[in-house]
Amino acid sequence: MSVDRAIARRGVIDALPLFVPAIPFGLVIGLAITNTGMNPFVGWSGSWLIFGGAAQLTLVTLLGGGVAVAAAVGTALVVNARHLMYSAALAPTFQRQPRWFRWFGPYLLIDQLFALTTVRLDDEPDSFRAYYLAVGATFWILWSVVVALGLLLGPVVPEQWNLEFAIPILFIGLLVLGIEHWPELVAALAGAGVTYLAAGLPNRTGLLVGAFIGMIAGFVAERIRRE
Amino acid sequence: MSDFLATAVVGLGTYLFRAIFIVALAKRRIPETVLVALKYVGPAVLGALIVALLTDSDGNVAIGIPEVAAFVAGGFVAHRTRSHVWTLVVGMTVYWLTLALI
Repeated sequence: MSVDRAIARRGVIDALPLFVPAIPFGLVIGLAITNTGMNPFVGWSGSWLIFGGAAQLTLVTLLGGGVAVAAAVGTALVVNARHLMYSAALAPTFQRQPRWFRWFGPYLLIDQLFALTTVRLDDEPDSFRAYYLAVGATFWILWSVVVALGLLLGPVVPEQWNLEFAIPILFIGLLVLGIEHWPELVAALAGAGVTYLAAGLPNRTGLLVGAFIGMIAGFVAERIRRE
Repeated sequence: MSDFLATAVVGLGTYLFRAIFIVALAKRRIPETVLVALKYVGPAVLGALIVALLTDSDGNVAIGIPEVAAFVAGGFVAHRTRSHVWTLVVGMTVYWLTLALI
């Protein structure tokens, strides 16, 4: 077995345990697509067009909830803005890669892939590429399958279960995992509070206002923390 | 069709976020201020989204004892276990129980 093939196998093995926490997420997205009455194929296409669970779930629930398309798209994009940081962090490593991979690689750049490759930035270019592609492909295939499974389960689940409430619960989980210091908590509370106060704004644009003010609040809190 | 277009636009935007420094701006550094601000996009958006998801089409926020109980329980479990599976299981169980009891 060649070295690169062994590294690719390592990538698949590393990706599998990280995929487990994504399973309920994918299933809930499938259920959400069913609940919103969106065309199932269109909803599912987000799995490979966007390839990012939080943004896909945001888009599906907002479009289904009657939010203006521009506000839904804007919010989903804001959710994914963190990928700018990943792009900047991996840019030096990618300079040693062939052109096709510099263009294609970013398509697969999800949170888990970033986390796994940050410890391999100094690998040989061929090894890095084999590992990166193996992790990315594993997630890409499994993710599309799990969201499709959620679509199949959706019509079977009784409405009385109120399973749509699983979505805010998952967001609470994501939020808690992202809080390392109190400024993050300030950002979250300000985002939630302002959205609550602005709930009456047309086309539910209060969401974007809340998110923006929350970000500013976190930024200011960080400044205070550093002083 | 507009749903598909919206999905495609988010997909394209996400790709641009992921690709811009790798493909085009490898020598550029993100200003420190932007990096700090980006750190707070996630928590701010999630906080806002949770409230938005509980808002109906008339702009009323439906949050009662079951929702609050489920958020507290789910948040606590997420903090302790760092597991989405357990967060979901405990959060939904508490939600169903409080709904049934009230």
